[in-house]
Amino acid sequence: MTTSSTGAHGEQATADLLRQRIASQFARSLHIRTLDTGSCAACEQEIRLLAAPHYDLHRLGFFFTPAPRHADLLMVTGPMIRAFDVAARKTYDAMPGPKIVVATGACALGGVYQPDAFVHGSVGDILPVDVWLPGCPPSPLALLQGLLVAVDRLAEKVSSRSFTADVKPGEVRR
Amino acid sequence: MTLWFLRGLRRGVVTTRYPARPDGSAADLPTPPVFRADALDSELADRLVAMCPSHALRRDADMLVFDVGACTACGRCQEAGGSAAAPSGEFELAATSREHLVKRIPLSREAPR
Repeated sequence: MTTSSTGAHGEQATADLLRQRIASQFARSLHIRTLDTGSCAACEQEIRLLAAPHYDLHRLGFFFTPAPRHADLLMVTGPMIRAFDVAARKTYDAMPGPKIVVATGACALGGVYQPDAFVHGSVGDILPVDVWLPGCPPSPLALLQGLLVAVDRLAEKVSSRSFTADVKPGEVRR
Repeated sequence: MTLWFLRGLRRGVVTTRYPARPDGSAADLPTPPVFRADALDSELADRLVAMCPSHALRRDADMLVFDVGACTACGRCQEAGGSAAAPSGEFELAATSREHLVKRIPLSREAPR
């Protein structure tokens, strides 16, 4: 019998392995359903551009689908208004497993709206989020990177960034 | 359409993996700030916290806590912070954990009394 800390470590390793296996399943074919939970539509504009020739999402094997029954990935925008609770839950439940949820944009990540009588303020309050995708709105390139992180085709970068720098004012750090 | 198809066959490569080369348009995107710890004192940090419209900044003792996920890259802290904040140029910000987006920036100087 393992100790609790070893058990927790083992559970984490199993969870990571499971996540990788699920991601590799979707690596070459992924169907995306978008869900607007009170967004200003800026995120939707950027998502729409993913299908344009410059970004050409289809070359990666990613497709948008209008039906949650056909979706592998749920892309949620907006601050999750409370009036949308049932619809969000039904959409999530209608998707076949395994499924991925991507919280898209600063609103969905709890940035712009604080929780009150009308909004939850974060998608994570209602749905289990797998990938957090910041930006207001996230550019199509950022969205593309988020989707590739979700299916484990790109490594996450932001965890290694400290956002502290010894740069001169106005100088862009690369 | 046929011409484009033949052009693709002739060149051998129709599409590229992400990212084949840096996208020139990425430099023009508004991006979250990077902070210079040596230029941040507690007074300036408090001012930045008070003016951030999306609650991306907060104070925790002698730390400035920057929530990249909440940042809308509006640039107000970069205007008000002078040399303490500058655009990061980072747009590849997707994270598999919400905690990965929360950065702690030490305040190295105290406000002048």
